[in-house]
Parts: sequence; C-alpha cells; structure tokens
Amino acid sequence: MDALKAAVVLFVASLLQLSVLTEYRPFRTASVVLVALLSIALLRGSIFGALAGFLTGLLLDTATLGTLGITSLLLTVGGFWIGRYGETTARDRFHAPFLSVAVVTVLYAFGQLLLRFMLGEPAPAGLVAHGLPGALLLNLLLTLPVYALARRLFPPLELGDRVREVRLLG
Amino acid sequence: MPRNRTVRLAVLGSSVQRAAPSGFPSSRSSALKRRIVVGALVLASLVLITVSFRSTALDGVQGAGATVLRPFEVAAGRVARPFRDTVAWFRGLVDAKNENKKLRLQVAELRRQVIVEATALQQNAELRKALDYHGPPSIGSFRRVNAAVLANPQSAIDDSVVISAGSAQGIVPGSIVIEPTGGSEDVGALVGTVDRVVHNVARVMLLTDNESAVTSADLANPQVVGVVRRGGGSSNVLILDRVPKEPRVTVGDTIITAGTLGQGPLRSKFPRGIPIGTVVSQSNSDASLFQNIQVRPFVDFSSIQSVIVLVPKTSR
Repeated sequence: MDALKAAVVLFVASLLQLSVLTEYRPFRTASVVLVALLSIALLRGSIFGALAGFLTGLLLDTATLGTLGITSLLLTVGGFWIGRYGETTARDRFHAPFLSVAVVTVLYAFGQLLLRFMLGEPAPAGLVAHGLPGALLLNLLLTLPVYALARRLFPPLELGDRVREVRLLG
Repeated sequence: MPRNRTVRLAVLGSSVQRAAPSGFPSSRSSALKRRIVVGALVLASLVLITVSFRSTALDGVQGAGATVLRPFEVAAGRVARPFRDTVAWFRGLVDAKNENKKLRLQVAELRRQVIVEATALQQNAELRKALDYHGPPSIGSFRRVNAAVLANPQSAIDDSVVISAGSAQGIVPGSIVIEPTGGSEDVGALVGTVDRVVHNVARVMLLTDNESAVTSADLANPQVVGVVRRGGGSSNVLILDRVPKEPRVTVGDTIITAGTLGQGPLRSKFPRGIPIGTVVSQSNSDASLFQNIQVRPFVDFSSIQSVIVLVPKTSR
C-alpha cells in the first residue's frame, strides 16, 4: 500500500515539476520531486528511498528525453542516504527533513554537474553556484508542507516503547 | 572476587539506556539486503547511462515511455493554465500603463513601416516573377508544425524543452524551431533546433544552450555577419561573435539568421531572415579582433508555451 501511495505522490510531483513549476525560473533549481522523495525516504527507510529514487529518476529522464540513468543515479543515492539517516539518527527530530533537504539539494546540484562533466557535456559550475541559494531557500520552504503531507500519508512506523531501560542482570 | 562483585553491583544499580528500536529492519541480513539493493540500483543506473549515452538501443523504450507520459503532461498543463493565467494577469497589470504608452508609439511607427514594406514586397514579387528568380530556401519552403511545450528546462544548466510533436508529424533532428509570438508576425523568432525525436515527442535545444551557434547577420547592414551563441553570463543575453571591427553594428539593430553564405558545400540549415534579437550593446577592445556585441533575444526562453517547427516540405 505504501508503494502505491509513494508511486502516486512521486508521479504527481514529477508532473507538477515537469509541466507547471519549471515554467517559473526559480523552480528550475528548486525541486518538489526531490523534496517529496526525501520526505518519503526519511519516513520509510533506505531500501524504499533508493527504489523510489531510481524509479522517479527514470520517469523524469524518460519525460525529458534526457540521458537515461543520470537522474536515477542521483536520486537513488539521495533516497538511500536520507532513508538510512531516517533509520538511524534522524528519528523524530524536527530538523531532520530540513537538514536532509538542504544537504541533498547541494549534493544533487553538484552531482548533476559532475555527471555532465564526466559525460563531456557543458557543465557551467558558475550557473549552478549562482542558482544554489535560491534553490536551497525554495526547497526548504517546500519542505514544511511536503513533509507534513508525507507524514500524513506515511505515518511513522510503530516504534513500540520509545525508551527502554535495560537492567543488566548478574 | 569481592572486587568484581563490587563492580557488578555498581552496574546493577544503574540503568543503561538502549537505543530505541527504529522500527526498520536492522539485523545483519537486512544490512546485506540493503547493500545488495542499493548496489544493484546504482549498477543499473550506470548501465542505463552507458547504454543511453553510447547507443540508440534504448531510444525506442524511451520514446514509448515519453509517448505514454505525454497525455498526463498535457493534462497537467491544462489544469495549471487558469493559475498560470492569473499570475500572468497580475504581472501584466504592473507594467500595463508604461507598456501601453510605449506600444502606442510603436504602433504609429509600425503603421508607417507597413505601408513602405507592402509596396516593397509587391515590387519584389513582381520582379522575382519577371526574372524567374530562384533564391536560397526561405521560411516559405517549410511546412509548419505547431506544438505545445510539455516540459520546460529542468535545471539551471538545462537549456532544452520537450514539445508535443515528433517524428509522426515529420519532425527530424535538426528541424528549426521558432516561436509564433516573437519577432514579426509572419516569421516568428528563433527558439532553437530539434535535438532528439521520438514518435510523438521531441526535445528542442534552445538557442541559449552552450552547444548552439547560428550564423547571423544584421538586418540593417547585411555585410555584418557573425555567429550568435550563448554569452558567458545570463541566458537573457546572447552574443554576436566573430564580427570584424568594420563595419560597425549599431545598438537597436535587428539580428536575423544569415542563411547559407556563398557557394560552399556546407549549407546552413537555417533559412535567411528568421529574427533572433536586437543589439543591446556594442563595444570594441584593443585585445580582440572582433566587436563585442550583445543581443537580447526576441524570445523569452523562460516561458515558452508553444512553438512552430519548420519541417522541410519534402519530408512528408
């Protein structure tokens, strides 16, 4: 059920990103897809995040007729990493989604640049660096509503007793 | 023994907090599973990049995928249209008064020009007929395919758009793309060229792409010929490169595609006369052999809604 919900959320986010938001220049650097993916990965873990990232990347590359695999690679790594963060240290921390989005936004932008450079395509680092503050700000602004929605759709997994005291016995 | 006992008692007396269970599988086997899954996905991505970059083997699959996605993109665009129009309406209100004044002056000027040009056109047609003149290809030699923009550039370093027409409509890689609203009404303004084509979808490389270059000329001064390409900074301004220091270009001149020059074997794919933009600055420096010319394009590349693709009449 979670997989179906994630598929719908990421598909809608992709359509929104492809056809609507990117019409406005600031949204060419910000990404609602990235924010949605990271929110889901944070709530559902590394394997879920990596798989969702791979398939979302494939969808985006297909729709834009770009080189297949580039976005998949970046989103797989991003989804996995943030999923792992969610599984380990990020539990129920208020700043976790914001921190995840901020870090991955920067790494995603430079990762994209690096891959383009390695493929011999133009990779203007100045443009990326110039657009990065705006992208960070917009992505952080998007995080609040998107993460809230993701939390409603993907309630945190039952953790049982939050804190257990263990008495060591002789 | 008693010493050990003391230590044990100290431990027993305290409570040790264990890390809260995460709710996610965390056993050794799940760690292995996690590594296998992410490794396989990364490997799959690398294989996809290699195959997609080096060959056309995946083009069919990608084309089919793009065709399946096309109706959803069109629907998303339609759903968003009222919101987009509202934003545009408010934006328009801000500039309306100033723009109105400017446009009134422009209309008066253009009316005078139309009268002069209509006479010249009529004369030109008569002379061509009388001389049985066969010139280089013009825009009239192409069939026009209208297409909506499905996907805009996806990042700051992406200078391409995806349009809703493809090989089924006769579009081929290299087809010229113009925008209907830019430039003079008949001709449109240059947007770029088609880069990839699948059945019902095509990708257009914009004029602002680093790999794009168009042989261009000054409409007012046809001896001025250079190459229009992206400048170093903002994509709102292009540069007209390789123009010798004489004759000088004047600010405000219109830059158009030059078409094929001379009789060489390398023919330009652009017909002559497609408007590109207006010269906004011109300067000379002692360090350069050429003029520094900046051109503001007629097309606003940040908000292209629909385009016209020029398809050779023989291709269908």
